[in-house]
Amino acid sequence: MIDTQITKKPKTIAEIHAEHKKTVGQPFCKDAKFSTRNVDVFYGDKQAIFDVSLDVGKHEVVALIGPSGCGKSTYLRCLNRMNDTIDICRVTGQLMLDGEDIYKKSQDPVLLRARVGMVFQKPNPFPKSIYDNVAYGPRIHGLTTNKAELDEVVELSLTRAGLFDEVKDRLHEPGTGLSGGQQQRLCIARTIAVQPEVILMDEPASALDPIATAKIEELIHELKENYTIVIVTHSMQQAARVSQRTAYFHLGKLIEVGDTNQVFTNPAHELTEKYITGRFG
Amino acid sequence: MWSENTENSMISKISNTEKVKKSLKSRYLKEKIFKFVGLSSIFVAFFFLLILLSDVMMKAFPAFIQTKVELELDLSEENTGVSAKSDIKEIKDVDYRKIIREALSAEFPEVKKRAEKKTMFSIISTGAEFQLRDMIVDNPQLIGSKQKIELVADDNFDALAKGQIDLTGEQKRFDDLTINLYKELDEKGKVNKSFNWQFFKTGDSREPEQAGIKGAVIGSLYTILVTLLLSFPVAVAAAIYLEEFAPKNRFIDFIEININNLAAVPSIVFGLLGLAVFINFFSLPRSAPLVGGIVLSLMTLPTIIIAARSAIKAVPPSLREAALGLGASKMQTVFHHVFPAALPGILTGTIIGMAQALGETAPLLMIGMVAFIVDIPQAITDPATVLPVQVFLWSDSPERGFLEKTSAAILILILFLIAMNALAIYLRKKFEKKW
Repeated sequence: MIDTQITKKPKTIAEIHAEHKKTVGQPFCKDAKFSTRNVDVFYGDKQAIFDVSLDVGKHEVVALIGPSGCGKSTYLRCLNRMNDTIDICRVTGQLMLDGEDIYKKSQDPVLLRARVGMVFQKPNPFPKSIYDNVAYGPRIHGLTTNKAELDEVVELSLTRAGLFDEVKDRLHEPGTGLSGGQQQRLCIARTIAVQPEVILMDEPASALDPIATAKIEELIHELKENYTIVIVTHSMQQAARVSQRTAYFHLGKLIEVGDTNQVFTNPAHELTEKYITGRFG
Repeated sequence: MWSENTENSMISKISNTEKVKKSLKSRYLKEKIFKFVGLSSIFVAFFFLLILLSDVMMKAFPAFIQTKVELELDLSEENTGVSAKSDIKEIKDVDYRKIIREALSAEFPEVKKRAEKKTMFSIISTGAEFQLRDMIVDNPQLIGSKQKIELVADDNFDALAKGQIDLTGEQKRFDDLTINLYKELDEKGKVNKSFNWQFFKTGDSREPEQAGIKGAVIGSLYTILVTLLLSFPVAVAAAIYLEEFAPKNRFIDFIEININNLAAVPSIVFGLLGLAVFINFFSLPRSAPLVGGIVLSLMTLPTIIIAARSAIKAVPPSLREAALGLGASKMQTVFHHVFPAALPGILTGTIIGMAQALGETAPLLMIGMVAFIVDIPQAITDPATVLPVQVFLWSDSPERGFLEKTSAAILILILFLIAMNALAIYLRKKFEKKW
């Protein structure tokens, strides 16, 4: 009985994935902030990302979704060269920020990271005061000339991150004493204090409760006025709520890119459809 | 299948509960046995520690008490040949030994025979004349009249006064004369015991009653200081480089393995190395804390490097990512965030290494820090000895008085170690941060 089923069975997910060659949808856009072409990433001998080409437009929120281990975080970390810290990691292909290759020899990763900020999965404030956390970036880059200016930057950043009112009376208490959601907003404040052009977010709300998550999402809405944001998320609802475009990754391949609405209501690719309808993942 | 045979599954469920119940007893028993074994090992360890400490303390206690004999010394101008206004040099040249001996003779006019007199004179320490001289140089007003002054007793008389000598046995150590003199003095209330400040103020001596610990304490402090100044920066720099900057290749692996090997090298080998390289080749001074410190830092380096590396490794990578993500350079990341976060662990490792170095004897024997040194070292290039070597030297001496001195030196060494460990715990608590 079982034997007869196998012969009639439609293609398995692995087979579809193996056959997939070209990204479906609109991976490119006109006014691109980031433009990446044919990106391959290797960890030692193991290839983690296969031939990914994707553009991120100016002041656009792009969500990267996909099952665990699909390479979306790896791709994100290529954009500010955080993968440099992993010895065995090797990146090939073309990655451009404003038309400049970010992997070229003369590109300084320190400068790149000042332009492309990052918020991590787990809130990771420095074990210092709230003030020092936010002031750290401006201090090391020498963005301010005096204390008053620095105070202003700290206040502005905390205000933008929606945290100032909650912490204004305890700016000199340790940032690690805040709640998880507050810590994550502190990390966002810390990132925007450097005034980057792009903010990369690696599952910024995955360690937070729904209320804190809602606050972070609200914040992303406000931030997109001024920043280009690339966000990796496990939550499809979150991707639907915050992003304009959504890219679906599967086992290192970029399967489909499109307007968020279209991807979630009318996915063009079989795998995307299976994933968003919860058939696997 | 389960659903087809519910009765069967019920039975198996009940018997499973029975099985778990049966196994519980032996599981809890194992836990109890383990707890008991653990607790008893702690008790055994504490018991031995207690025996060690109480033994050392009991034996050391008499060393902190000094016996003094009160004598009426004739310090008149006729007898001394000088006056209160005389030159310091002349006052120094007075024959104080004669004055002490005269005072003893006056105290016991009945002692006449030459041999008996010799015995009588020996109840006062040979160092007493210098004690008297220094006292009078400091305070020349004493000259001109008879003064009652307490003088340090000889170590044998001291032992007698402390009741350490068995006076009843056949083979008693002292002749009757000394015992009678002691009894007579004691009855007159002229044998006094006071706290032995001298022990903390002087260096080593051949006479137990004059021997002090200060030389060894200062020598140990100098040696540890040199060790700390040399090994801490070098070890921390090495650990940071190896953990944060070094490429992962065969050469670095080779270095890592050899650092671990270095930690296993017997300390006496480091002593020989110090002798051959620093003293013979570089002609650095012999017996000096400088060379001792260099040798001990060679020995301590791997300990601190290994401790510092594991402390750096324990710093969560999220902290590094946070700093790098903001655009901090590698150097800024390490020195602003990783190093401060690893500091408590590094300090703990360093202090444990220092405590090891403080208790180390063998390599210092090789570089001559075992010499008999009376003077208190004034600089790191002066000849000196250290506490554990002082323990070694005194424990080797035949005089009875050195027994208690040995225990006292051990006690002081242990106090030093306890203080250092307490400091390590305090620093760890102080700098420890949570994330």
